[in-house]
Amino acid sequence: MKKPEQRDLFPGALEMMILRTLKRQPLHGYALVQHIKRTSNDLLQIEEGSLYPALQRLLKEDLVKAEWSISSTNRRVRIYKLTAAGARHLERQVSSFEKMLEGITRVLARGES
Amino acid sequence: MIWLQQLLSRRRLYNDLSDEMHQHLEEKIEELVASGMSRKEAGHAALREFGNITLIEEDSHAVWRWPSLEGLFSDIRYGVRVLRKNPGFTSVAVLTLALGIAVNTTVFTAFDALFLRPRPVKDPDSLASVFRTTPGEPRGRFSYPDYVYYRDNSRSFSDLSLFATGMAVTSSDLSATSLEAAPRIAGAVGFQLPQLLQGSARPIMCFFVSGNYFSMLGATPVLGRILLPEDDRLNSPLVALMSGNVWQRQFHSDPKIVGSVLHLNGVPFTVIGVTPVDYLATASFVPDLWVPIPAEIVLGAATREDLENRLVIAGFPIGRLKPGATLSDAQAEFGVLAGQLSTRYPEAERNMTVSVVSGRNNLAALDSDAWPVVIAALSAVALLLIIACANVASLLLARAVVRRKEIAVRLALGAGRPRLLRQLLTESILLGILAGALALPLAGWALHLLVIEIAAALPSFGGTIALEVTPDIRIFAFTLFVSCAAGIAFGLAPAFEASKADVNSALKEAGSAFGHHLSRSRLRGLLIAGQIAACLVLLITSALLLRGSERALKIDPGYDAQSVALLEMYNPKNLHYSQSRLLQLNRDLIQRIATLPGVRSVSQASRGPIGGGIRWVPVARAGPTSLPPTTGVSETPTAGYSYVTPNYFDTLGIPIVRGRTFTPREADGQAPLVVISEATARRFWPGEDPIGKLLSIGSEKGGTSFPGESDPFVASSEVIGIARDVRSMDLRKLDESYLYLPLSQSRQWTSTLLVRADGNPTALLPAIGREFRSVDANLPVLAAPLHTMVSMDPYFVVSRIGGVLASIVGALGLLLACLGVYGMVSYSVAQRTREIGVRMALGAQTVQVLRLVMSEGFRPILSGVVIGIVVSAGISRALSATLFGLSPLDPVSFAGVSLLLIAIALLATWLPARRATEVDPMVALRYE
Repeated sequence: MKKPEQRDLFPGALEMMILRTLKRQPLHGYALVQHIKRTSNDLLQIEEGSLYPALQRLLKEDLVKAEWSISSTNRRVRIYKLTAAGARHLERQVSSFEKMLEGITRVLARGES
Repeated sequence: MIWLQQLLSRRRLYNDLSDEMHQHLEEKIEELVASGMSRKEAGHAALREFGNITLIEEDSHAVWRWPSLEGLFSDIRYGVRVLRKNPGFTSVAVLTLALGIAVNTTVFTAFDALFLRPRPVKDPDSLASVFRTTPGEPRGRFSYPDYVYYRDNSRSFSDLSLFATGMAVTSSDLSATSLEAAPRIAGAVGFQLPQLLQGSARPIMCFFVSGNYFSMLGATPVLGRILLPEDDRLNSPLVALMSGNVWQRQFHSDPKIVGSVLHLNGVPFTVIGVTPVDYLATASFVPDLWVPIPAEIVLGAATREDLENRLVIAGFPIGRLKPGATLSDAQAEFGVLAGQLSTRYPEAERNMTVSVVSGRNNLAALDSDAWPVVIAALSAVALLLIIACANVASLLLARAVVRRKEIAVRLALGAGRPRLLRQLLTESILLGILAGALALPLAGWALHLLVIEIAAALPSFGGTIALEVTPDIRIFAFTLFVSCAAGIAFGLAPAFEASKADVNSALKEAGSAFGHHLSRSRLRGLLIAGQIAACLVLLITSALLLRGSERALKIDPGYDAQSVALLEMYNPKNLHYSQSRLLQLNRDLIQRIATLPGVRSVSQASRGPIGGGIRWVPVARAGPTSLPPTTGVSETPTAGYSYVTPNYFDTLGIPIVRGRTFTPREADGQAPLVVISEATARRFWPGEDPIGKLLSIGSEKGGTSFPGESDPFVASSEVIGIARDVRSMDLRKLDESYLYLPLSQSRQWTSTLLVRADGNPTALLPAIGREFRSVDANLPVLAAPLHTMVSMDPYFVVSRIGGVLASIVGALGLLLACLGVYGMVSYSVAQRTREIGVRMALGAQTVQVLRLVMSEGFRPILSGVVIGIVVSAGISRALSATLFGLSPLDPVSFAGVSLLLIAIALLATWLPARRATEVDPMVALRYE
């Protein structure tokens, strides 16, 4: 069986998007996945459940931390927050991702001309 | 301690997670309901969007775990559960593997212990053995003066010692032992070796070594001191180093032994020390005593001249190389020294070279003649392991088919293929570990038994066997690894196949319908046929050999073997008795034994009808008309002979068919008279009456071909009697010619006495032993009823040992082949469950189903049997020499064994086939 997050994305992409989203504001799981879907204009087809193994990995590496609280809709939710280490990790990931993207874009542009 | 906290907080983490996921789904459903869906529809949609909950949970949990380790634990737990649920499969597979592993561990450990293990001495790697090589003898010994020359002139050795041969001596200081425990297994397979007569002296085994031997090996005594170079001089006090084994067994570990005096062959030796128990030094078994080489002279093993003669071999040099010196350095140097010797002593050292080999272990003892035998034996057991692995693979294959559905279910539930393969691999390894756990004690027991039985079968004065026979853990690990690897290789292939399967069709079991996959069984059929053929060959061979040697036991040798006991005085020349004392000794013994109740007669002979070796003498007709007695070696007829007392024929129950035996006066005066066998009469005087005719026996040139007995020479000897033919030279046929010469009891001493009892002679042996003891307590005597001496016939030994070994390997092979058949039929039954169900639903009877399933297993068995019979017929011809007249195509062996094998193989097919008949058609069809 294929790992869901590897279906459309490269390894680490989901984690990067989670960290980026959490950098703006702390969110709980459901809100997090809705936000990613909405922001990408539903272009990214991710299984909602696949968020959770990724969140567990980030928790284990202390890049995020989680707390139970009550949401505005009066629901028990677990709010994820970015840690300082998480912020640093995100920066590194984004910059290396941008470099990679730049490289890919150049190759693709060259190929067209 | 973070991992510990994690471990403890894990339960909470998991609860949080499932709680959270539950909340997620609830929120999603509410949202969907709010957008107008029904609650039920919303539930489905939410789950679809979310993905496989179990899998996601597993993946999330995995983040917190040590995945490989914990996965392994759960795999093992699961594997154990699977194996326990299938006790039949598990025990068969484990037993098969255990058998292969145990046999291989046993044989390879024994080989290792005998030849590869480093000698139990200080720094064995720097030891080197030196052999004298002459054409035809690559591993020869050196004479004492040659050894001294090499020792004194070598610069590559820091020390060169001499290990001379051993000798059994007697000591009146050792208590006479009771009879040893009878060797159980050797006795069970028909070997009865002569044992020491109860009450006679017990010989003890001495090894002669140079004085520097023990210091070179770095030996440390448990008591006293070791032998030293100063013990090596001709005029040094006589000393002996005792083995720990004898010290324990005979002297109850008495610490006062050091300094005490032990009379060896009547000469006083001082015990100077005791070695550790089982200390072998460079010997292959533990002697009772170690004595310096000059003691050979007082003990009678050699003369002073022998130790100065370059033509008389003395022993094997073994030495320690100087640091930095290599074997090739030593080889080059010894080549030069050998050259010097052969220039100086051309008559003694012709054609002689030396070879220096590593003395690290005993590998050098294996000469080029022995290697093929060793390799054949090792390959045979390796083959056994391969067969065992192939059969377990067969079983796994059958299981894989049965488990297709289970595997498909697990695939459908989201298990990854690598995960599944790992699981199946774990099961194979579990099988291997279980087999190993069973095989290790099995091998240990087999090795132990082997050593004990070999030791018990040998007369006790041959020293002590001290093989290190703890199963070798490296060999055990290797065989375990090989069998696990085979299990994995064969077990994974079908698993791989199964896990690739399309989940849908596998769940429906479409793949197993109607002979779809049956083509794979052809190879298995060939495998089975080959196995059956191989073990049939072994079993027929063993049946032939065992039946042949059984005939040997029942052959009428022509003399009365049942009621006559043979007494053989062991090496009495060591006692330095004068000829007149020896003659008096025999007279006293005969007189005393003859008056014992139950003894009918006592005779003396230079050798008995069996067990005394064979001597030949040239014979020709003599008299006025005949040619000179010897015309040429090749054309001279020869005859076997023995010197006998007049009552020999009476004692052995050999009838005199014509003429008479000697009178006591004729015998004592050694008159030129001879009693010949019937065959001899026919050969020299066909159609004539030989009584009164003359024979020329031996030749003037005849000397002493055998130590201690000069060849007979009678220019003209009158035939006075003809004795019935017996089988004394070769148990398989009557002697072609045999002469009985008169034995003079006042001139000739012989070590052999024959006692005829009224009944079983074994009952008389204790009384005879007491007579020996009262006449001379220093005499070691071997005793055996004649009928047990057939054990000494070389052809009997070959056919018995060959037969027993062939039947053991053959029976193991048969067991394995049956497992193979069982596996193959189970496989096909498992595959064809649905087909069988359909057939039964359509009205097939139990018998028809049985026939259908069994015929498939039966075909390879039958072809295997045919091949086996043909090959056996070819082989048996070569065996005919050892069959004692049994036809090489003995129908009992061929038909009986084949039928037995077919019956057993049929049982192996029937057991799984029976399961096919128990298929409930409804269940089989619904099973899909």
